[in-house]
Amino acid sequence: MGQTRRSFIHNAGIGLLTFCVDGCDVDLSPREARARGADFGVLSANEVVSIDALGEILVPGSTVAGLAHFIDHQLGTTVDQQLLMIKYLGINPPFLPFYRGALAALEAGATTRHGASFAELDADAKAAFVAEIAKANPQGWEGPAAPFFHFVLRADAVDVVYGTKDGIERLGLPYMAHIEPPSRWGG
Amino acid sequence: MALPGQVDAIVIGSGAAGSAMAAKLSAGGKQVVILEAGPERDASSLISSGIWARRLKWGGDPVIEAGSNPVGHVFNAGFGVGGSAMHHFAVWPRLHEEDFRSQSLYGEGVDWPIGYADLRHWYDRVQTEVGISGDAEKEVWRPPGAAYPMPGVPVYPQGRIIAGGFEKLGMQTAPLPLAITSTEYSGRPACLWDGWCDAGCPIGALANPLTVHLPIARANGAVLQAASAVTKILTNDSGDLATGVEYATANGESNQLRADVVVLAAFAIQNPRLLLASATDKHAHGLANSSGLVGKTIMSHPAALVYGLFEEETRCYMGATGGQFVNQDGYAKDTHSESGAFGSYQWMIAQAMKPNDLLGIAMTRPDLIGADLQGFMQRSAKHFASMTAVIEDLPVADNAVTLADQLDTNGVPLAKVTHTTHEKSKALWGAVLEEGKEVFAAAGASEIWTGPQEAMHIMGGTIMGDDPSTSVTNSYGQCHDIGNLVIAGPGLFPSSGGVNPTFTLHALTARAADHLLERWGSMTA
Repeated sequence: MGQTRRSFIHNAGIGLLTFCVDGCDVDLSPREARARGADFGVLSANEVVSIDALGEILVPGSTVAGLAHFIDHQLGTTVDQQLLMIKYLGINPPFLPFYRGALAALEAGATTRHGASFAELDADAKAAFVAEIAKANPQGWEGPAAPFFHFVLRADAVDVVYGTKDGIERLGLPYMAHIEPPSRWGG
Repeated sequence: MALPGQVDAIVIGSGAAGSAMAAKLSAGGKQVVILEAGPERDASSLISSGIWARRLKWGGDPVIEAGSNPVGHVFNAGFGVGGSAMHHFAVWPRLHEEDFRSQSLYGEGVDWPIGYADLRHWYDRVQTEVGISGDAEKEVWRPPGAAYPMPGVPVYPQGRIIAGGFEKLGMQTAPLPLAITSTEYSGRPACLWDGWCDAGCPIGALANPLTVHLPIARANGAVLQAASAVTKILTNDSGDLATGVEYATANGESNQLRADVVVLAAFAIQNPRLLLASATDKHAHGLANSSGLVGKTIMSHPAALVYGLFEEETRCYMGATGGQFVNQDGYAKDTHSESGAFGSYQWMIAQAMKPNDLLGIAMTRPDLIGADLQGFMQRSAKHFASMTAVIEDLPVADNAVTLADQLDTNGVPLAKVTHTTHEKSKALWGAVLEEGKEVFAAAGASEIWTGPQEAMHIMGGTIMGDDPSTSVTNSYGQCHDIGNLVIAGPGLFPSSGGVNPTFTLHALTARAADHLLERWGSMTA
């Protein structure tokens, strides 16, 4: 019997990516990578904090779903292997400067306005700032277009929260990729 | 496996057109090598996930996009064996007679050098070979042709609900013609209708190149070499014959391969890029470009997206990504002329939707975040519905592929593609959106919203015609300037029509392959 759909779907959803934990490479989902404290390969600690804070406002649950680990892992892969939606949004690779520039602009804006990092802002201040970047570049914003960054990070967060097998099933929908045909065509 | 130094035919690209051409030529006894720039693919590459499916999208040399309405190259193109057909939705309607004679009939667009009657036989032949599910009688708009070999796709609540809206407005619907098996067909299993078409179909129900034409090509001795990017098409000293190609392997090694015939089937952007980048002293402005039209007239259908929520459960995650029904009541090109619009369009009704990805439920409302998004997703998961109109993109010469200043790692200039939608096509997009909202209202939607203009399909850039001064190739894809250099794919389309292009490019390829095999000796002399 040829390879069945189940046999190559069992890791789907976001599935398993290779992360480094305690010096060893292990295959984990982004959610598991976060839970196990996997190392970040590309993003700085401050950038991770910013992504978690902004992602959680955009799509609740994205932090524990491993948003920062997902982005970090993908930014460290080759373009033809990348799974980030930004790849088909009109931006040519590499994508790290986009994320890095936008996160820096976010933090600069928070610091200028409130004298604190974005993650340290209270809920109302965060919400107001996010509402602003959704519409236009805030005054003094120096980086990729703020509304586009809002769109991209929201898309990434949607991926990890609603695009996984668990996420789809939490919406009450069957994932269905586990339906097994008798065999692949041509056997 | 080492390639021979000389073969009968080199096919550049393994997507829909390249694999079909390779299958036909190899079955005709020709020794064929397919060179594919991207990686090898097999069924195990086709993971049912909106995230993993992005690996099927373009991942090769960057394409620089410009203009007010970019063609969305990465989203619409593919990378690796099978090309963009690996993630295509397999919606296979035919062009209509008026699509071939738009300039003659309406004074708009560009006429094709052939008419529907010239392609009818090839549509019918491909339809049998590939397998299409549909109901030709219910497609009252369909030009004449053989009945579909498989019955129409099953109807889920989403389709039934929206079709009811069309009916209330006195409009008609028919099962969407899909190159997907509604029954077992030629050893391929029937579709499971699990809505993962754009992630690639690993069971062979959807007719992608891995399923249909590459197995035929390989069985007839064709060799497919992946990770081999053609960097130049070679010509003889007098410049009137193609002699082969230069290509680079993944490790950067440069090689040459000679052939009697070179088939360029690398899709609508890379085809003109390669022609322009292969300039010689005999072809100073690029191969096959005596008309100056290589790269010109790039087209991309504007997609009109309509969404809604319904009280009834829609089971919108079931079915095919392309949809369940079609409506072509507005196909006459002057249907919305009162709005300053021109062109044909069709509705693809009740697409299977997943929660994420660019076409997913969450991205239809990018304005929603936080608790609002959570509530929307909970409401929408079981009550969402959508339909998409394919809008004709009138040809504009300035919408073009040119060479950029930047080079790829092999020293080949990158492609730059500029596209701004014709004003009459934009007007059609707007008028059709209004119609879509009326349909959803008639169907009883509790909420209705629409999406922005998105680019769907890429066509043109190496258009066919009878006159060498106004076209790049003849109707068989043979370049006017270099008869044994053949172009295959949607890049040949002089106009876009208002339907999905894949069936037509297959019909054109089958017709061209037959022609080439009949005249092989004279073509290469």
